[in-house]
Amino acid sequence: MTAPVESGTGRTTVPPTATYVFAICRRPDKDVVSALPGLVDGSPVRMLAFGALAAVVQDVPTEDFCAEAWQRRLNDPTDLERCARAHHQVVCAVGAVGPTLPLALATLYHDDERARRRLTADTARFEAALGHVEGRVEWGVKVYAPHTSAEPTAAQSTTAPGPGSGRAYLAGVRRQRDVRRQLYDEGLRAAEQVDSAMRELAVEGRRLRCHGEEPTATGGRRTQVLNAAYLVEDPLRREVASTVESLRRRTGMEIEVSGPWIPYSFAGAGGGDARD
Amino acid sequence: MPATEPVPWDTDEFVAPVGVPLVDLLDRLLATGVVVSGDLVIAIAEVPLIRLSLHALLSSVNKKVPAPWADGGPL
Repeated sequence: MTAPVESGTGRTTVPPTATYVFAICRRPDKDVVSALPGLVDGSPVRMLAFGALAAVVQDVPTEDFCAEAWQRRLNDPTDLERCARAHHQVVCAVGAVGPTLPLALATLYHDDERARRRLTADTARFEAALGHVEGRVEWGVKVYAPHTSAEPTAAQSTTAPGPGSGRAYLAGVRRQRDVRRQLYDEGLRAAEQVDSAMRELAVEGRRLRCHGEEPTATGGRRTQVLNAAYLVEDPLRREVASTVESLRRRTGMEIEVSGPWIPYSFAGAGGGDARD
Repeated sequence: MPATEPVPWDTDEFVAPVGVPLVDLLDRLLATGVVVSGDLVIAIAEVPLIRLSLHALLSSVNKKVPAPWADGGPL
């Protein structure tokens, strides 16, 4: 929903375009983004200066980017993915030339003037956050607990129940459940181990919401027990890789790494986890 | 456990690699990023109903299936 704009004459109108903001940065060359498609055809991605900073923006049709449109988009994985990747592409292009604060998907203002006024009010916060992320990158680390043990367990080696062995069947189900619970508990302990090792290497860590249970490539299932982001000094890439490798050996857990990311998870400088 | 090496993208710059998993991207785009006071900010992570549909979406994103993104995608 786009709230009607109070115009100077007291009448209300909904402007045909809105100002979409991708990121905040320190005034890089506009050529960095001008060749990018952004979210829509026909309007350039551009820099909107405010003070010593700039917002990377694009004019977008209001009706395609109002709240209802985003609601629809959340149920349209293809369109949501298109927008997410377009947003990410702009953020990456700006991030490649200097410290960058990505904004969350779908940050819109009625027009440039409103955007400039509201963003200017946050200048001090942006400056602090830019200083915080400068020279640093984000790494994503996820840990998964398996649902079945790698070694055959009592539960798994139980022979298939014959006819009439309902009790044996139920006992097997219970054992399987116990094994899974045990693996999950081990996973949670490993997650803490991974998190604290990564925090030693990182400037800052942040726990993201775990995605729960999901299928594995081999047809089994696994449960995510850690979904975290770490802000790490840029030159420490090799150390990130070796730390994760040694954590894999120590914990025996499946650990996935992604990165380097533009520091999405640390751009707010507000701290705190995003789990709840 | 054999390390399935879900490789960090092996580039020196942030070049929006095609293979960035959507699920990881949405984690960052929806739940984090700078929060500013926009005229419209979809605070997706804070709205329970939307979180539900998002959760369903995320569960349905199978990373083994290539994104429908072969053309017109990022760099």
